[in-house]
Amino acid sequence: MEVSRRTLLKTTAAGAGLSLAGFGFNIPSVKAAVKGFKLDDAKEYTSICTFCACGCGMVGYVKEGKMINLEGDSDHIVNEGGLCSKGASMSVIPNSDSRNLTPKYRAPKSDRWVDISWDEAIDKIASKIKQVRDDNWIAQETDNGKTYNVNRCDALSFVGGAQVHNEECYLMTKMTRMLGVSFLEHQARLCHSSTVPALTAAFGRGAMTNSWQDLKNAKAILIEGSNAAENHPMSAKWIMRAKAQGAVVIHVDPRYTRTSKLADIHAQIRPGTDIAFLGAVINYILETESYDKDYLLTHTNAAVLVSKDYDFNDGLFSGYNEETHSYNKKKWAYQLDASGKPKFADLTHPDSVMMKMREFYKRYDLQTASSITGIPADDIKKIAEVMINNRPGTVMYALGMTQHTVGVQNIRSFTVMQFLLGNVGKPGSGINALRGEPNVQGSTDFAVLFNYFPGYLSTPNHKQQTLDEWTKDSGTFRRKFMVNLMKSWFGENANAENDFCYPLMPKINTNQNYSIYRIFETALEKQMKFLYIMGQNPLVTSPNLNIVQAGLEKLEMLVVADPFMTETACFWQKREGVDPVNIDTEVILLPAASFLEKEGTLINSSRLVQWRNAGLEPLGEAKPDIEIIDMLFQKIREKYSASTEEKDKIFKLANWNYPADNRSDTVLKEINGYNIKTGKLLNGIGEIQADGSTSTGCWVYAGVYANGENQTLRKDFQTDPGNFGIFPKYAWTWPGNIHILYNRASCDKNGNPYDENIKLIWWDKNAKKWTGYDIPDVPAATDGPDTANGQKPFRMSAEGIGRLFGGVYADPEAGGTLPRDVSYVTSDGPFPEFYEPVESPTKNILHENVASNPCLIYPRVKGFQEIGDKKDFPYVLCTSAVSEHWCSGAYTRNVPWLNELVKETFIEMPVALAEKLGIKNGEKVKVSSARGEIEVKAMVTNRIHTLNINGEECTVVWMPYNWGFKGLSSAASTNLLTIDAGDPNTWIQETKACLVNVVKAGA
Amino acid sequence: MAVEIAMLHDVEKCSACRGCSVACKQWKNLPADKTPFDGDYQSHKDLSSKTYTLIRMKETMADGKVRWDFLKFQCMHCGIAGCVLGCPTNALQKEDTGIVSHNIDKCIGCGYCEINCTFGVPHVDKETKKSTKCNLCIDRVEKYIENGYDRKYMPSCAKTCTADAILFGTREEMVKIANERLAVLKEKYPDACTYNVETDNSIKGGAMMYVLPYRPSVYGLPDEPQLAPSLSVWKDKIQPAGKILMGAAVVAVAGAAVVNTVTGGSKHGGDDHE
Repeated sequence: MEVSRRTLLKTTAAGAGLSLAGFGFNIPSVKAAVKGFKLDDAKEYTSICTFCACGCGMVGYVKEGKMINLEGDSDHIVNEGGLCSKGASMSVIPNSDSRNLTPKYRAPKSDRWVDISWDEAIDKIASKIKQVRDDNWIAQETDNGKTYNVNRCDALSFVGGAQVHNEECYLMTKMTRMLGVSFLEHQARLCHSSTVPALTAAFGRGAMTNSWQDLKNAKAILIEGSNAAENHPMSAKWIMRAKAQGAVVIHVDPRYTRTSKLADIHAQIRPGTDIAFLGAVINYILETESYDKDYLLTHTNAAVLVSKDYDFNDGLFSGYNEETHSYNKKKWAYQLDASGKPKFADLTHPDSVMMKMREFYKRYDLQTASSITGIPADDIKKIAEVMINNRPGTVMYALGMTQHTVGVQNIRSFTVMQFLLGNVGKPGSGINALRGEPNVQGSTDFAVLFNYFPGYLSTPNHKQQTLDEWTKDSGTFRRKFMVNLMKSWFGENANAENDFCYPLMPKINTNQNYSIYRIFETALEKQMKFLYIMGQNPLVTSPNLNIVQAGLEKLEMLVVADPFMTETACFWQKREGVDPVNIDTEVILLPAASFLEKEGTLINSSRLVQWRNAGLEPLGEAKPDIEIIDMLFQKIREKYSASTEEKDKIFKLANWNYPADNRSDTVLKEINGYNIKTGKLLNGIGEIQADGSTSTGCWVYAGVYANGENQTLRKDFQTDPGNFGIFPKYAWTWPGNIHILYNRASCDKNGNPYDENIKLIWWDKNAKKWTGYDIPDVPAATDGPDTANGQKPFRMSAEGIGRLFGGVYADPEAGGTLPRDVSYVTSDGPFPEFYEPVESPTKNILHENVASNPCLIYPRVKGFQEIGDKKDFPYVLCTSAVSEHWCSGAYTRNVPWLNELVKETFIEMPVALAEKLGIKNGEKVKVSSARGEIEVKAMVTNRIHTLNINGEECTVVWMPYNWGFKGLSSAASTNLLTIDAGDPNTWIQETKACLVNVVKAGA
Repeated sequence: MAVEIAMLHDVEKCSACRGCSVACKQWKNLPADKTPFDGDYQSHKDLSSKTYTLIRMKETMADGKVRWDFLKFQCMHCGIAGCVLGCPTNALQKEDTGIVSHNIDKCIGCGYCEINCTFGVPHVDKETKKSTKCNLCIDRVEKYIENGYDRKYMPSCAKTCTADAILFGTREEMVKIANERLAVLKEKYPDACTYNVETDNSIKGGAMMYVLPYRPSVYGLPDEPQLAPSLSVWKDKIQPAGKILMGAAVVAVAGAAVVNTVTGGSKHGGDDHE
């Protein structure tokens, strides 16, 4: 029991009572001494906040079926009772007059909604899905003269998942893949899609490495591309705890924000130049020999020899094909020994990763980086020294890093820096990808994304006709999980003889991109007919909104399930440039229950899976999404029940049966998985078998129902051995309740902690096993340091070690013909190289002829994707959110308490620019880009100053993107201005840097 | 017997997330104010009958560097409170806990609390004709003490704070923390000071305390807080006469007129900031 960490926050018997009884309503009521105390006789229930992925605990208070109060859960390990402005306002939601109460229908050309029944709504949707699927079915496809079975329909699309529960995401994935859907997407594509490949390429997994609470263990915190204090407000608690212990906090950002106010050092950077800044920090570490040599040799590929085919010249790596804008990645391989394993030498061998890296980074001297980024060279040096001298240090980043055409390589730069400093796997270290939606980690885990299947398995493609062909690219290690997924989806109908039903799965075409951007673009081409949206609002949050609006107008049917009326659902309503008479799209609105009215699990950024209770009945006729999906699938299956067609037999084989009174719990068990012979729930990943005798709907969640108990209900907020903020008995963390990923790397070769202060896990010589305060992240707990498994700190990469050089590698399986595991390789280089944004105010001084990412393909659609020039659009626009509103504002702009704090879109501009343009604080201005023009009010501030870039003045302005034309607070949408050019790895858009012009309104 | 409590705003830690502003409105069921955008993040320029706490956000340039200072502004719960002295009906009371409470049943909306407050905190609501201000969640504080200082029942703003910036506990504990933090801040900020912690001024400190990196005036607080000058007029001349002559309601009207005449009106007049 660790009460010391809360000397100010005294716990009592009453507090503990809440924790023990936290699930449900049976909380012992405290003695009612205050007369008429508002909470007397109220039912209490716990929930989890629905905004950023801090995952803060909430307690709702209900009297006579109405929510009368909501506050932070004081026994919660992340927020200890705290809530930010958004979270603190949520009692409004179940009492709001703005909620959707009934299903509604908008007929083609109509200018109004008509109430319809649920039966009618579900029938209309199911009929449309069937018709579109039948009319647009692609059974086979030919590529290079060869015919492939693909079982696909590219005219159906489904979007959304970050706002709903794991069980809902899982069923959405399961339903849509059964339907043959390729276009399955959600907000992660737009926010953190670049995180998964970047971290996977280096570490083997794509998630935040440490946790919110672990921030307190850091001695240095580099916050770059994140406004954590505003957009992940509860992180401030843990940053302040670190500061109280002497940690140095650095904020690198285009603006001085509320996060900068908490930092010791703030450096103003030009948007889109993070690789240059981090490149200089990395170079400084290399030049001053400040790297952790033992760590590099033990835990990374620094001493591995790189193939002679690898090269880098004038902005291009070897293997570049100018025509296709792509690389032959085989040029970026290792030198292998006879058994197919990488050859190791030392850090000075000319072919070693280390020497290649030194050669690569020497161009990033302080002065060059300063010219590119605008940060004074002395400040870059100072930041590098803080990181060198204060270890372990951690990194916090968010969309400021991800939303670029170099988003993946931005994050790869962090991995290089942190490897060099020995800052991965230890308490207070790591790379903390701050996920921004309440369950975006879960919607990613459950693969509401076209390129994954649950648990980060690659979506089968047309060249992978059989499970063996899929395994050739993904390895036998992951094949096991694909088999288990198929067992979950098809039950006893999946067996070794029929390749576990794998052949029935849709196969995406490797030449196609099925990202959310393409949903609207293919609608323009009349390919996309149907779009179903669950808790997402692309007509506010997607870039280049003109294309979204035009795409929606071309659909045959749009379905939106949401608690509130969104801009997307109302895209057809009359306003400037839009006349309902010209729009034939049928629109169906489904009233979704709010998060306070439904049960299920969600996972926060620290991978903590928590259970939400349903403390209230949904308002009106609203239903939880899980019920809607279940109704829809059953209706579709019913409509196909008479079909004898080959493409429709999947509905008969599908394993889909969920009790109406216990859907979420039943689905969570399916996700956890079973031993099919015994019928018992699996206790962990270790019990998963390759032969079809077990099932798991998402292998990383195996163990969430260990011992037949729902682990997400656990509420022990006091047990924290080691005092690192791990709380191993509070809810459950994937994988296998490991809290700090790659924690094997906190120990030396022999399994001893590098430092007593960070003693987290260790090899216990006497007990002959790995043990510690966290679950050791090792392949097998009894495989000691003298075994191969004892030296795999990054066991999810094929090499088992950290990848500074992100090269091609497939680990051979002893005695087998298929690889055991295959490492992920990014498409635009094994090292992160700096390229200018697509719309840049300057030249690329490293290689003028390769200014922007050479793998970029843009524009994709003529007439909609103009690229602006500095002559017409001289200022750099960076966009993000304000603390008081969240994402598209569908929730928050319907909360008066938040609207009074920030009520409309505005533009932050430096005083110098305002003076030049004659603009006073609060005055209206026109902001335009190559894509559109909007009018907003000015916020003239010293928190952004004019930068000196490559010898010229460069002005950056900033705008929040949270507004649209619906809700209690409506205003212009910033995304009318932003660019939808995308990173070649994940197509994530460059919403952090485009060019605009600003003039005084009316001028 | 009664425990003296206090709130401490550790200004250096504040991120101005404004969770406190919303948590206050949520607990007290206060409606939103009208707050036209005028180019600042600080949406509420002053407290109102609908807003009992706000974060002051002040941007300044010093030595070529930008500085952004935040301060949680609300009722100071003064040791000797002008509002309590000025209240003709004893609706405002200094409790043993240190809270300046407000009994709405006794309040007649005369506005003397507004006039006499050192900090311009109370506001009479135009519709209900009742004075309004922070009562430090006195209902929650009673539960807090009764349940052995259970943080579950801290005042809404302190409980919700995301950055460990609003602390709440016994006055003794808060004074200790304030002084410890002052020692730390002094190393970096020569002007660092505590506020309302010391009681050697005319308001005798307060239950709302601060530890500040810069001088109080930087945050819009008087460097030397004083009881309102009008109070001496009130106490010496008007209140005794009023108490002899008539009932409270009449005192209110007559008294307000006299005070306004004597002092030339109050800069914190009774408007509602709508």
